[in-house]
Amino acid sequence: MGRLIVRRLASAVGVLVLSSMVIFLVISVSGDPLAELRDRQPPVPDSVIEAEEHRLGLDQPLVQRYITWITGLFQGDFGPSTTATRDIGAELTSRLGVTLRLVVVAIVLALVLAMLAGTVSALRQRRWPDVVLTPAAFVLLALPSFWLAVLLKQWGIGFNNLFGYQVFATVGASSVPPPDGVIAAVLDAMAHLMLPTIVLALVHFATWSRYQRTAVVESLASDHVRFAVLKGLSRRRIVRSYVVRPALIPIITIVALDLPVLFSGAIITETVFQWRGMGGFLLESITLRDTNAVLAWLLVAATAVVLFNLIADLLYAVADPRVRYGD
Amino acid sequence: MATNDLGPGMVSAPTAPGPPRTRRAAYVLRRFRRHRLGVAGLTVLLLLVLVAVVAPRFWPYDYGEITPDLSQPPSPAHPMGTDTLGRDLLAQILRGLQQSLLIAFSVTVVACFIGVVLGVVAGYFGRYVDATVMRLVDLTLTLPTIAIAAFLGSVVSAGGVSWSALALVLGALMWTSVSRLVRGVVLSLRELPYIDAARVMGAGHLRIMFRHLVPNVADHIIVAATLMFGTAILAESGLSFLGFGVQPPDTSLGLLVADAQSAVLTRPWLFYFPGLLIILIVLSVNYAGEGLRDAFNPKSSPVNPLTTPSRAVRRARAAATASAARTRPAGSSGPQRPDTLVDIAGLTVDFAGQPAVHDLDLSIRRGEVVALVGESGSGKSMTALSLVGLVPPAALCTGSIRFDGDEMTDLSFERWRRYRGRRIAMILQDPSTSLNPALTIGAQFADSMRLAGLSGRSATDRAVELLDSVAIKDPRSVLTHYPHQLSGGMRQRMAIALAMIHDPDLIIADEPTTALDVTVQAQVMATLAIARERTGAAMLFITHDLALVAGIADRVAVMRAGVVVEEADVFSMFDAPQHEYTRKLLALAPHLGSDGRRP
Repeated sequence: MGRLIVRRLASAVGVLVLSSMVIFLVISVSGDPLAELRDRQPPVPDSVIEAEEHRLGLDQPLVQRYITWITGLFQGDFGPSTTATRDIGAELTSRLGVTLRLVVVAIVLALVLAMLAGTVSALRQRRWPDVVLTPAAFVLLALPSFWLAVLLKQWGIGFNNLFGYQVFATVGASSVPPPDGVIAAVLDAMAHLMLPTIVLALVHFATWSRYQRTAVVESLASDHVRFAVLKGLSRRRIVRSYVVRPALIPIITIVALDLPVLFSGAIITETVFQWRGMGGFLLESITLRDTNAVLAWLLVAATAVVLFNLIADLLYAVADPRVRYGD
Repeated sequence: MATNDLGPGMVSAPTAPGPPRTRRAAYVLRRFRRHRLGVAGLTVLLLLVLVAVVAPRFWPYDYGEITPDLSQPPSPAHPMGTDTLGRDLLAQILRGLQQSLLIAFSVTVVACFIGVVLGVVAGYFGRYVDATVMRLVDLTLTLPTIAIAAFLGSVVSAGGVSWSALALVLGALMWTSVSRLVRGVVLSLRELPYIDAARVMGAGHLRIMFRHLVPNVADHIIVAATLMFGTAILAESGLSFLGFGVQPPDTSLGLLVADAQSAVLTRPWLFYFPGLLIILIVLSVNYAGEGLRDAFNPKSSPVNPLTTPSRAVRRARAAATASAARTRPAGSSGPQRPDTLVDIAGLTVDFAGQPAVHDLDLSIRRGEVVALVGESGSGKSMTALSLVGLVPPAALCTGSIRFDGDEMTDLSFERWRRYRGRRIAMILQDPSTSLNPALTIGAQFADSMRLAGLSGRSATDRAVELLDSVAIKDPRSVLTHYPHQLSGGMRQRMAIALAMIHDPDLIIADEPTTALDVTVQAQVMATLAIARERTGAAMLFITHDLALVAGIADRVAVMRAGVVVEEADVFSMFDAPQHEYTRKLLALAPHLGSDGRRP
């Protein structure tokens, strides 16, 4: 087990280093952060542009820039922003918390519901809940998350207007200023979290419940379930230890693989609900052509993906003894 | 995003080029036509394409044309209403439909091209090429598509993104699922003889890859491409919604939704029409993909051993049994002997008109070992499964099965539990799959022990005792092992020990040694004999190998094509076989001819 962790960790670091290179290369080659400055009318004096190039390190060769950037990262410095007053690192940390809250709650919610629905659907194929859940999942898979987000937001507003009471908070991650008291603050955060989480969770609930259904259907047809039935075990015992447990392995992979999609979804959801999270940070940075900020964002996303994959690998080992004891 | 990489587990048999391929295409088409939702999805999709191509030519308004009708709800002149500038929404939606379909199609082509090339190359060359490509996949997967696409989209051109640039960017980010899929299939095909044959005949790498490998992955590619088309539609519209895709004055479905964000409650038509259209497109794409998948990879009908036969099934069975009983000569099963344990009368297992077992009579007395012998497909396993109520739901099972005087057909799951394990134990063919891979041997014993009312120390002691009796060394440590840590022979002895827990009246052993090495066979057979003697149970021993029968059986029934052709005690069977087929089988068992009757 210990060796497995070390090996996975090494490979995760490898992917991360490679991915930092690719990200750096793609972003630096394709974007000129000073394009807007150069195009400005009346023209900005060359000396100003040169000074700006020097400040951003653009006058250095690419390899040198990468090394400067990566060594800076280890000291918690994400590099200079095109907007001189912007502190990329500080802004990122505060926004990361906001987004993590949304993403983690959505993952947990979607995963729990998907596993329940997928399992029930598979156990009762083509009968009562399955005949509803399966088409519902298909419709949810076809729903564009931005459309769903706008729809829920506007319905939330309509609902609030109808009852003359703010049930759903539709703007931001918390009220401004936040209410006093811990309980009030938590309630406020939950009211803000509700609709965005539903949007993000529903889309992934659909995908994951389909995968879980397939996994359980396959598990049901397996020999060891038949053998368990032949041993005369109770239905509950068979479902828990013989059907669902071996079917956990595929769903772990799927969730880990789907994480980048989840981040993409979070960008859209945050935009619609006007959260000051990572999504907004990215979009603002792109508009400002702030390459270092975009780089920082991508690196955080890549780290999160690699980290979750690592966790998935370890969960794998917990769920499947064949992995744990390195076959 | 869509369920498109369920993976290389579903590898279809490779098909040779030429006429069989067209026959297969016809077969796939026939299967697809039976998938109603798939056909509906494809029809809607084709209709939408047709509309996108033809309709704008005949529609009087252009998508950018400003009419004097501002913010009109749907009316005969503007079936979908107009926006705040007075533009006709239907014209805009038609333009959006064109854009979405065109971009999604290009994305799919680009992504599939990259994915197929890299996947085939990785799978075919393997080793470091494969490792490199797979790292590339890992890398691409760490990048959220929308983020990269938005950044690249913003820099590709200042005055809005051309659809081709958008398609290239999205395609370059979405190829991973296809390449994984193709690689998986190619890896499994690479070692097949027909690839070696092509190589020996001097075919180059390129030729082998694209003439011999790619066509055999085509099924998977078509399904993956279809589902990717839907994902691409969502990605493009999402990007346009954020303002990094299609730019005004041109329009797209995502852009239309973005513009209508604040109009949901006041001018709902602006919001609902483009949104519902996206849903319609993606939904029909996904159903078409699902239909194609099922057509290419026919799913076997679902198996669920946890259910009780439904009332409809029970009624059908009862009716069929009654009508069969009328045609059977009265009293053919005869009076039951008092020591009869199992009495099967007129058992027929019917798969949509093709009987696997036909009108079978068989009885087993207490403590008697009956061998059921026959080639694969003769219906012997189906007979065993009907004895434990696990005939696949696709089959209609008629006739009567009595166990210790009780009628066993149509029992509920809970009723069956009184027999399964407790009175009827069964040992399956392949010990590598019949034990739960996720539980230790000890836990699997404990599950059964609990039913026998044993737990804790006494359960462990009993398990150790049972493992001792099946000649397992160091049973206490074996209990802490997982099945994959044991050899095949040991696993099968575990299964036998598990079967002995409740001292059953009947042990069914379905080809218990077939999946094992010959050297281990004797051991397992000896264990089986011990288990039978200790429990005093009757046994139904199913095999295709007459050589194993002589040592263990009292009586032999030879089965062929669903019918028992000969039934006799073991000595007369070997000494004087009556039926032609039995003689043939005996001739095939080499070391039985010791008395010189070998042909």
